[in-house]
Amino acid sequence: MPDASGIETQAFFKTIKLDAIDDSLPQEIKTACGVDVETCLECGKCSGGCSNVRIFDITPRQVVKLIKTGQEKPLLAMDALWACVSCQLCGDRCPAGIDIARIMDYLREKAYQKGIKATRYQVQLFHELMLGFIKKTGRVAEGQLIIRFNLKTGRYFKDADLGRRLFLKGKIKPFSSKIKNREDLRRIFQESIEREEDQ
Amino acid sequence: MSTVKTALVIGAGPAGMEAAVKIGGAGYRVILADRADSLGGTLRQLCSSFPRWEDPADLIAYKTEQINKCPLITIKTKTTVVAAEKNGNGYLVTLGSDGLTSEIQADAVIIATGFELFDASVYGEYGYGSFDNVVNSLEFEALLKEWQENQGKTASPGTVAFFKCVGSRDRAKGLPYCSRICCMYTAKQAGLVKELFPDSKCYVFYMDYRAAGREYEEFVRSVIEQRHVRYVRGRPAKVLPEDGRLLIRAEDTLMGMPVEIAADMVVLAAAIVPGPGTRQIARLFQIKSDEYGFIDYNRNEPAKAGDRVFFAGACGFAVETLGAIQQGAAAAAEVIALFNQPNGEEKNA
Ligand SMILES: Cc1cc2nc3c(=O)[nH]c(=O)nc-3n(C[C@H](O)[C@H](O)[C@H](O)COP(=O)(O)OP(=O)(O)OC[C@H]3O[C@@H](n4cnc5c(N)ncnc54)[C@H](O)[C@@H]3O)c2cc1C
Ligand code: SF4
Ligand code: SF4
Ligand code: SF4
Repeated sequence: MPDASGIETQAFFKTIKLDAIDDSLPQEIKTACGVDVETCLECGKCSGGCSNVRIFDITPRQVVKLIKTGQEKPLLAMDALWACVSCQLCGDRCPAGIDIARIMDYLREKAYQKGIKATRYQVQLFHELMLGFIKKTGRVAEGQLIIRFNLKTGRYFKDADLGRRLFLKGKIKPFSSKIKNREDLRRIFQESIEREEDQ
Repeated sequence: MSTVKTALVIGAGPAGMEAAVKIGGAGYRVILADRADSLGGTLRQLCSSFPRWEDPADLIAYKTEQINKCPLITIKTKTTVVAAEKNGNGYLVTLGSDGLTSEIQADAVIIATGFELFDASVYGEYGYGSFDNVVNSLEFEALLKEWQENQGKTASPGTVAFFKCVGSRDRAKGLPYCSRICCMYTAKQAGLVKELFPDSKCYVFYMDYRAAGREYEEFVRSVIEQRHVRYVRGRPAKVLPEDGRLLIRAEDTLMGMPVEIAADMVVLAAAIVPGPGTRQIARLFQIKSDEYGFIDYNRNEPAKAGDRVFFAGACGFAVETLGAIQQGAAAAAEVIALFNQPNGEEKNA
């Protein structure tokens, strides 16, 4: 539990044997994402302005640092992977131009393929529901999505008030229309599934 | 042609002033030209000086007196160079002043055209140019001067946050290099605020603090320990206007936690970059500049830029006042050694 200052105490420190780490993870990220983590200045500008850092367990700067130190395990298990909204603010402001959103994407995919689930937020469920909507209609029906998500997670009225306000401001609609060219959409999904199977 | 050789010194900041004093003192003529209307360069804008809390006005007064006492030095303010061509063992230089031009023969030239600050409005996230209370470091020196002059009569600025490395150490939108002096002057500025207004709060956001110089580390530590300026490690990400104040978002990278500060003023330690004057002079004398526009030096000769052209101070790279003075003296030594040759010939030319 956070104390008054907002600091959560962590369990025990584990010593990292730095000399036992090779550079395969940074290399992998370089090849897959075109990002050289060695250019990171460790300044924290990415974390300070990250849209969702308040619900991250590992800050964007630490993500880059963990790549540098080859710590794949915590990277694939972190909730930040699923809480990152790919807003690109971090990369946009980074003095080294490091595209953290791209790294997050890559790691997310890797975690998903390994069947690693988010522990805290059930964001995976959220992603799956959202993709389900897109697959069906070509659009995200925010209102329905939130309701369905909350029903599935058993938090029936959690966003009721927020939802009412968003609805009144016209930000979300109770029903969503379908897009015209659903055949194209079906193809996109089909192709990405095939591509995934090829890998 | 007069038999006493003449050096043209362009720029009358601490580097140029020192060079003029030394060359004049050695018995050669000096023309000290500056486009500004008085001597002192950037020092005229500074409130107090690290690392000894000295008044820069004292230094300017001291050097000006030395210059005035030397009959061989001619001061030409509001003057700059408009043309230059090689002429025998020197340059035929056209000086421009208030639309009027005059020609002089210079047997050697010292460039001491100083620097300017990086334009911090490049960082939309900091709001420089949009929010009134986000200022750059030189604008803040002016405020400090004002507060010092009206001590006891001005309201406390409240909470002041200083951002270091703005435009420095940023290969994406700024410059990859470290501007070298901003760690020190930021400590000075924050320390001055705390001295003038003990109830104010000062936060310095830093990636590193670089205090490699005589008395520098002690200076920064004293600002932290005795004046209670808070250092927060992390490069701020965003400044948001909130309830008439400025909300700063950053990560404290030592704790690995997001932090926020509600401030009344934000001071940006903008990078040191070469000014347009330096580029222009480099073109006129056909000397090399580095990729950023700072005057480049000849291999093994740190004060030499080209044939009979030397340089000193921040036009070569970011440097503090003491360093600028030392470089001015070094460039002067080169000129004096050259002029002392029997025919004024350069040994290794
Ligand atoms: C915010 C801030 C705070 C600082 N605080 C300190 C401090 O506390 N202590 C310290 O030691 N240092 C401090 N400095 C650094 C100090 O200002 C520099 O070290 C010093 O000014 C460099 O001297 P200079 O002679 O090389 O250049 P400058 O002082 O910049 O002088 C250059 C001169 O050249 C003239 N010039 C430029 N182009 C031309 C041209 N084409 N023709 C004619 N004239 C031209 C300019 O008008 C100017 O007078 C600070 C700097 C900043 C930005
Ligand atoms: S902003 Fe860029 S350089 Fe700074 S810590 Fe984040 S990734 Fe590294
Ligand atoms: S892209 Fe992800 S990590 Fe980057 S700022 Fe947005 S939410 Fe944060
Ligand atoms: S001197 Fe300090 S503030 Fe200036 S660029 Fe270097 S590290 Fe940053």
